[in-house]
Amino acid sequence: MHMGEIILDVRDQRTSFATARGMLAAVDGVSFTLQRGRTLGVVGESGSGKSVLSRSIMRLLPGNAVVPGGSRVILNGRDLTRLSEAELRRLRGPEMAIVFQDPMTSLNPVLSIGRQIMEVLMFHLGMKKRAARARAIELLTAVGLPQPDVRVDQYPHQLSGGMRQRVAIAIAIACEPDLLIADEPTTALDVTVQAEILDLLQRMVRERNMAMILITHDMGVVAGRCDDVAVMYAGRIVEQAPVRDLFRNTRMPYTAALLASIPKVTDPPHRKLDAIDGRPPDLINPPPGCPFAPRCKLADADCDQGKPMLEGPAGHLFACIRPLGQETAA
Amino acid sequence: MRYLLYRLRRLAIVLGVVTFITFLLVNVLPGDVAYEMAGMDSTEEEVQEIREELGLNRPVLIRYVEWVGGVFTGDWGTSYINKENVWDAVTDRFPVSFELMLLAQILALSMAIPAGMASAFRPNGRADRIIGALAFASVSMPSFMTAILLIFVFALGLGWLPATGYEPLSTGLWANLKPMILPALSLALVEWTILMRTLRVEMISVLQENYIALARAKGMSNLRILWVHALRPSSFSMITLLGLQVARLLGGTIIIEQIFGIPGIGRLLIHAVYTRDFIVIQGCVTFFALAFVTANFLVDVAYAWLDPRVRTGGSHG
Repeated sequence: MHMGEIILDVRDQRTSFATARGMLAAVDGVSFTLQRGRTLGVVGESGSGKSVLSRSIMRLLPGNAVVPGGSRVILNGRDLTRLSEAELRRLRGPEMAIVFQDPMTSLNPVLSIGRQIMEVLMFHLGMKKRAARARAIELLTAVGLPQPDVRVDQYPHQLSGGMRQRVAIAIAIACEPDLLIADEPTTALDVTVQAEILDLLQRMVRERNMAMILITHDMGVVAGRCDDVAVMYAGRIVEQAPVRDLFRNTRMPYTAALLASIPKVTDPPHRKLDAIDGRPPDLINPPPGCPFAPRCKLADADCDQGKPMLEGPAGHLFACIRPLGQETAA
Repeated sequence: MRYLLYRLRRLAIVLGVVTFITFLLVNVLPGDVAYEMAGMDSTEEEVQEIREELGLNRPVLIRYVEWVGGVFTGDWGTSYINKENVWDAVTDRFPVSFELMLLAQILALSMAIPAGMASAFRPNGRADRIIGALAFASVSMPSFMTAILLIFVFALGLGWLPATGYEPLSTGLWANLKPMILPALSLALVEWTILMRTLRVEMISVLQENYIALARAKGMSNLRILWVHALRPSSFSMITLLGLQVARLLGGTIIIEQIFGIPGIGRLLIHAVYTRDFIVIQGCVTFFALAFVTANFLVDVAYAWLDPRVRTGGSHG
């Protein structure tokens, strides 16, 4: 249970979907490892494959998903790709858990929130009803829900969005998982509540010594709260680095473009936002070279010759043959 | 409380409309109870005399108002044919029909729920296709055909269940249920298809919901997800239909009671229609309307049980 122990090892994860037009490569060869106590931020536009990646790790993919045999997801030393559905069920909850984006729709409207927490405790930990209820109230207290002993019998529609997300977090941490995936946990919430929920997640990870994958499209969320950041584009990780490194020494032009698109307080009023021109590539017929090349200001003819590898010195990886900051690095 | 008053007012309107229309319809039918009472060889004068005696030649509206007045004072009238008290006749037979309908609905539901779930779990999968084929075969057959088929197989062929008859509950539960199984099944085999297909459609969309994904992420088994997480949010349309089907079942029981010789309200009604015994018809129809409105009231109660948002929402008029 010490820091540094590798909880999750994802190797060459590929997830495609059979569509009417052909195979859509949503996750296209993603590899990374995650240590206990660390938080990895996964950033990308919508459609970059971040949510499919989280479901691929949980092995919660729809029926038309295709994962080739070479993909590996190793959680606590066990290869999830080789486990049966029944074996996976025993791990979902006690070893890995997920908090979804929209707390308005991710809780069952006809079951009391107490029951939704208790069923995890009863199924995985074999708790009796009375003990599970007491534990549910403890968990609701831990996630900062006011009046937990009253709320435990209430239904989701009686709670605000922020409170519902607290309940979702209580469900996720109920069985003390080693890996917590937070899939855009604050996107659907009011700005004022967002910081509270992120603080709560951070505190839970620290107190319980979990590993967390925080998926977001918001660079600002990543900045203060993650140890490492992986930037995704078109189903691939295009830059991965410790958070400070990524912001100070951005190498991948796509990451730079993402950072530039965030409006700054110091900007003069009515300044046009630096949105990224063009659209993400078609994932059914991807371009042969770097998927960002068609939108990249620095791209040249070489960028269309094959996909660049994700590589780089000293833990700062990037998939680009014309990276930024050449002059300082060289 | 306001809601209850609203329901009662609706009940009163339904009963008023239904009974009045029936009253009118029986009146415009050729022939009346006077012919029946006078007998085949009677003269027109004799028939007219009986009409005079019974007050049948007075305007319809006045006779209807008189009948309504009687109902409110507990006098439902007496049969013109056999002088039986209508209230007694109806309340004697109604529980029998009620039991038949209840059994039919229970059987239909207990087929529709598991089958609907199995179909919705993998739409267009093998189970879905097999269940769909069976369901359409069974709904395509009218209940009286099904009844004859069931009698042929289970009563005449296998001899497991009686073909006709009725035993009151006082002779024991099984003795009472045994002759009811085939008639209830004949009705259920038509009704279950509609319930099943409705549940299937609603459940397919519920299974796409985020909270089902979360239940999976919590490690819940498919069976638990279907029964505990998906069934209740998926059954609104099915419950609504369950109430509306009572109307069809009331029609269905009339035929089924004839085939299986069950002394229910259906037989009473048919006999009364043949003899134009309108006071008995009125009694039966009033009960039918009452049963229908009550069933749909229970459906509304079921909504509140199904969905906590209805319970505490309080936005209902």
